[in-house]
Amino acid sequence: MQYLVSVINDTADLATPDEMAAIDVFNDRLMAEGHWVFAGGLGSTSSATVIDNRGGEAMITDGPFLESKEYIVGFWIMEAPDLDVALKLAAEASRACNRKVEVRPFLRA
Amino acid sequence: MVASLTRRFGDLDIAEEAAAEAFATAVGRWPADGVPPNPGAWLTTTANRKAIDRIRRENKRGDKQKEAQMLSGDDPPGPLGAIEDERLRLIFTCCHPALAMETRVALTLRMVGGLIMPEIARAFLVRETTVGQRITRAKAKIKAARIPYRVPSAEDLPGRVSGVLAVLFLVFNEGYLATGPDTDPVRHDLTAEAIRLTRLIRALMPEDGEVAGLLALMLLTEARRTARVSASGELVTLVEQDRGAWDAALVAEGHRLVRERLAARMAPGRYQILAAISAVHTSARDVRATDWSQVVALYDQLVHLDPSPVIALNRAIAVAELDGPEVALAAVDRLEHTLAGYHAYHAARADLLRRLGRSQKSRAAYDKAIELAGNTAETAYLIRRRDQLG
Repeated sequence: MQYLVSVINDTADLATPDEMAAIDVFNDRLMAEGHWVFAGGLGSTSSATVIDNRGGEAMITDGPFLESKEYIVGFWIMEAPDLDVALKLAAEASRACNRKVEVRPFLRA
Repeated sequence: MVASLTRRFGDLDIAEEAAAEAFATAVGRWPADGVPPNPGAWLTTTANRKAIDRIRRENKRGDKQKEAQMLSGDDPPGPLGAIEDERLRLIFTCCHPALAMETRVALTLRMVGGLIMPEIARAFLVRETTVGQRITRAKAKIKAARIPYRVPSAEDLPGRVSGVLAVLFLVFNEGYLATGPDTDPVRHDLTAEAIRLTRLIRALMPEDGEVAGLLALMLLTEARRTARVSASGELVTLVEQDRGAWDAALVAEGHRLVRERLAARMAPGRYQILAAISAVHTSARDVRATDWSQVVALYDQLVHLDPSPVIALNRAIAVAELDGPEVALAAVDRLEHTLAGYHAYHAARADLLRRLGRSQKSRAAYDKAIELAGNTAETAYLIRRRDQLG
């Protein structure tokens, strides 16, 4: 079962070299133990673009959909058999990237 | 039965509904047909069949294989050990750390304690719809996030058990000093259930100090239950209780547990210290024989572990017996900024002011306590004390 583990940033700072090193070590472990599905860094929200094409014409807006102090700066998609395993991995992820993380299950068919 | 159904079908909703339907069928049929030779097995088989019917009706995709597994797997009614095992699985699931505290309490009372919604709502002074929503959302989360239905592994158990104990303590406290103007002031069904479940956890973890401590605390408190409310529905404080009415067997068991923890020579957690305080009180045949210096010493230990203002308040009340009401009042007054909304703070002040002969201030403090108090027996007691000021 797959879980989205989102990294929450509450400052303007991105990962330090130490944090990046810790994340690499953690990612190696995830891969070796079969929990890795995908991961990536997103950086600051100023590079985001919002498109709303629900109406007549596609509306494009510069910036994130939500202006907030806290925002998602990266994420993992992890494979885990249940929430206990996912939470253990996410706890290590939080320690490695030195930030809060949010764990959400993907909807199953 | 709900527990074993949950294990088989992995869905609390289905398990609950099937169990209810099986009971309803029994109630409808048994008076006419007679009680079957093995009622437990009849109920389980009937509930299983109803659960399978529902799953088929809901036509879950890709579950054909799962369904076949469920149909073939047989769970003959096992020995008592197996049933208790199921209840433990259920408790740990209901008390999972991914669920908010109030959700854990509602879920545990519903799924493990078997309380109905109105009872849970009344116990915690929330609307029935609120309880219903909490429970529905919790079940949905358990399913969607796949909170596993199991007793945590040996290495995870110590970390998980404190969450369970916190829930059980909340349930017990609500039973012991029930909130609400229309509630019975002491609810034996809740205290009994809390004790029953704590005993279960103790059977699982016989070496754990805090589990033993919580059980001892509950037993020593429960032992005083009948002496605690007068015939006229008024709270009877420890000082005034008829100690002959205490349950000697529960007191003895509580003391035995406290002695066991002392002998273990390990740094005690908060439940063990609270139990020890209770043990000192229940060791005195007469309130005047209470070893107050022991009580204060234990509170000193507790304050280290838990700097909460309520603990500080209880310590100050004990200090009054050693160092007099003036010293105690000074300590209590220091807690004003955090405890101004807590009825027991004002009740303590009222009593100390009374002892110091400051009747007017005492009366004002009693008024405040009465305004804030939520328990019918306690309110009656506070009104009497205030009116006694003359």
